[in-house]
Amino acid sequence: MIGAVEFIGERLLPGNLGHGAVILSLMASLLAAISYFRSEQSSLIEDKSSWLKLGRWAFIAHVVAVVTIFLSLFYIIYNHLNEYHYAWSHSSKALPVYYIISSFWEGQEGSFLLWMVWHALLGLVLMGSARKWEAPVMSVVSLTQFMLSSMLLGVYILEYKVGSSPFILLREAMQAPIFQQADYLKYIADGNGLNPLLQNPWMVIHPPVVFLGFATTVVPFAFVVAALWRRDYQTWVAPTVPWTLFSAMVLGTGIIMGGMWAYESLTFGGYWAWDPVENASLVPWLIIIAAVHTLLIFKKTGRAMISSMLLLLFTFVLILYATFLTRSGILGNSSVHSFTDLGMSGQLLVFLLMFLFLGLSLFLWRRKELPKVGSEEHILSREFWMFIGTLILVMSAFQVFLTTSTPVFNKITGSNIAPPADVISHYNRWQLPIVILILITFTYSQFMKFKSTPTKTFWLDLMWPVGISLLVSGFFIWYFELTNWQFNTLLVAAIFGVIGNGQLLIRKLSKLSKAGAAFAHVGFAMMMWGVLISSAKKEVVSINQSGMSYGENFDDKGNHENVLLWKQEPLMMNGYRLTYLGDSTSAPNTFYQVRYEKLNEKKEVVDQFVLAPFAQINPKMGLISSPDTRHFLGSDLYTHVTQIPDPAAKAERKSWKDPVPFDIKAERTDTLMVGQQLMIYEGLSTRLPADMKAKAEGAEVAVMARFRIRSLDNQDRILQPVFAIRGGAVLSFESEDEAAGIRIKINSLNPDKGTLNIAISEKIPESRDYLIMKAMVFPWINMLWAGTVVLIIGFSISVMHRYHDAKREEARGEA
Amino acid sequence: MKRTHLILIALIAIAVAVILSTAGDSSSYENFQVALENPDEEYHVVGKLVRQNEMQYDPVKDPNYFAFYLEDNNQKVMKVVHSGTKPQDFERSEQVVIIGKAGNNQFEAQKILTKCPSKYVENEVKVKPVSGE
Repeated sequence: MIGAVEFIGERLLPGNLGHGAVILSLMASLLAAISYFRSEQSSLIEDKSSWLKLGRWAFIAHVVAVVTIFLSLFYIIYNHLNEYHYAWSHSSKALPVYYIISSFWEGQEGSFLLWMVWHALLGLVLMGSARKWEAPVMSVVSLTQFMLSSMLLGVYILEYKVGSSPFILLREAMQAPIFQQADYLKYIADGNGLNPLLQNPWMVIHPPVVFLGFATTVVPFAFVVAALWRRDYQTWVAPTVPWTLFSAMVLGTGIIMGGMWAYESLTFGGYWAWDPVENASLVPWLIIIAAVHTLLIFKKTGRAMISSMLLLLFTFVLILYATFLTRSGILGNSSVHSFTDLGMSGQLLVFLLMFLFLGLSLFLWRRKELPKVGSEEHILSREFWMFIGTLILVMSAFQVFLTTSTPVFNKITGSNIAPPADVISHYNRWQLPIVILILITFTYSQFMKFKSTPTKTFWLDLMWPVGISLLVSGFFIWYFELTNWQFNTLLVAAIFGVIGNGQLLIRKLSKLSKAGAAFAHVGFAMMMWGVLISSAKKEVVSINQSGMSYGENFDDKGNHENVLLWKQEPLMMNGYRLTYLGDSTSAPNTFYQVRYEKLNEKKEVVDQFVLAPFAQINPKMGLISSPDTRHFLGSDLYTHVTQIPDPAAKAERKSWKDPVPFDIKAERTDTLMVGQQLMIYEGLSTRLPADMKAKAEGAEVAVMARFRIRSLDNQDRILQPVFAIRGGAVLSFESEDEAAGIRIKINSLNPDKGTLNIAISEKIPESRDYLIMKAMVFPWINMLWAGTVVLIIGFSISVMHRYHDAKREEARGEA
Repeated sequence: MKRTHLILIALIAIAVAVILSTAGDSSSYENFQVALENPDEEYHVVGKLVRQNEMQYDPVKDPNYFAFYLEDNNQKVMKVVHSGTKPQDFERSEQVVIIGKAGNNQFEAQKILTKCPSKYVENEVKVKPVSGE
């Protein structure tokens, strides 16, 4: 064959459309960035407005292009066009619709696209709301869109691969002999499907929220750049505050959602593991929270302009750094997440350095002009302690940043530093005192006024919350038998946070629009309270008490946190009687039903429920286990399967003893002993149950024997094997009972002697099913979730309040 | 001295302490030889599962004991014991990272991380059997 193969059945239109839209979005965003830049730079009014118009149209064209990319890719995935690599590798026909949505952002290209879509929408909002800041702000946003669009390009420029296209065809992405055939598509049955760990409702909603959090950080960044560019150091703050609050809220919500996903579907037993991927988004969140506070200091006192600008610039740069860490494959051995490198780490690095340089150089250029307040704050002023609080937040972020960055450090210097062997205690050493300081600082500083506070009233006001907190925490320490002094200090601080800010919250209930900070602080303190109790008193309750030998030389200091449950054999665990009832499969998951019966002292069942942790036996990843959790008001009981008998070995293993034949008289009842059980033959019958009748349809002879098995527990079970002859051929249907472990088959009938020959098999006990599971109790975890809700309410109130504030200020400015 | 300066000095001191503690807490990727010479230190050891030697895991006997042999990057083979279940799909792992201490001529791993050649990225096109259409 000469020339290219004509492939049959490929639907190239959506891919070409999508790829074309990528190029359009790239060009349009560049045009928008330049036009907005020219509009800001030109001094003539006409020039300004005509460039502005061009910028707007270019950005709208860009938005249309981005939406087209999104829809094309969605069409490809939704319709399982497996000629496209993206659809083939991330989706499959077995996925329900909502998981098809998750498969959209499973791949890197899809997640960049999601980010771009958010930026595009934010750009439209800014276009309508930024007013006099539109040109410089949109110029920056358009520039980020140019960088993001280039991530989807997938072309080679001077031997460098720029971007990675989601519209690449399967035959272009992979080399296989099958692609020599014109009709190769006929042989591609289905896509690879979504990673089973991501098949969880949280994974539908968590990535869009996180990426909205990522995307919104560009807005305050753009405002800072705009302010420096225009040398207007006053009016940029009002519109920036609500954006910063909104961004902090969304990013925080996204991070917590990730924790909930981990808690609900992963098996490490918790909601936070200090994994580099989690840390990467925590660092910018801490910095943006610090920025929220310095911005408020500036609004009230005119101080902290420089730190506000720097914090907002770094927030966005750290978001880019987070993307670089998680998308470049550099985390390699240090993260449980595995992200593949698409060869874009260089491009991401350029993106990162470009915006770092842009922000910092502009800042350094203008640093002498920036407004400063010469005098020092009063020591009993709210702004002083708010500022101290932001410094503590920065320290917290710095510590997380440093440890998370060791792989980057290794890469640069060629060293081989590994993460701390005990990650949790490493982070706790710093973050525990830090969070104590933050809780205390943000509470008592709320009792101060801006500028200065009368000393006497301050201490008097503070007396009550301090006293009550000490009492309440004393009760908790006694009740939960807490002994660790660091944890106890944190408990006091968290309760102080709830009570102190709660008091202020009650005072502010009449002016709800100003209660945002009080709500947010109460919420955060509640979260820390919940985190403390649920992690300090987290208990593995599935401790193995069977007293097995642990092999020679094995230093027995590990916790034996997994228990073995035989099917149908109850086991006592932590006041519960556990019974593994059996499993049921609803593809692709197998659910393992474990019954929990809460017993009182008289061994009576007072509460009963079934937990069904499930697992997917995935041909590519092995056993993927997911927990099931029983939620009580005061605690959660969390359980997951750690091991099941190897299904392959189970299939091979002999589970029944060889059948033993017996002759019995057809007309008489008879009794046999099988193992420890009594087997009573009760007679033959020609009246077959409906299902058997169907099986033996058209048979000349069809009889059913009836056996009663009486086990040691005096439970009767009936077995009814059927024997039939159809067209001279023998049909024999055996009957078995799993619990009794007996299987009976009729071999033959002998009408001359009036006997029937049966074969009895017994089950080999060791072949019974079992599972190995782990169970944990998380007390007071609901406090964490409740605190999250209160925190988000607080943020929402503040966003609204500051938004109206900005509107008012704008109106004043125009008047 | 102004209060701002005091705060600045405190800040620098804390930052230095953070850096030192990060350096102090960090473990390092080492081989078995180093781990054996320093039995009290915790190390990350990267290696490959030795498939000829049998893994020891019998959940019916004890679900919390798992032992296997690992060959480090210097081709030294050592027995590794772990108090827990056998990680799923362990046989297929390409690379194993164990975290723990050496002692008694064996390595006690607190954590086992397995890296499969590609956790979920498929590099082969599976072809469905041709049906007789």
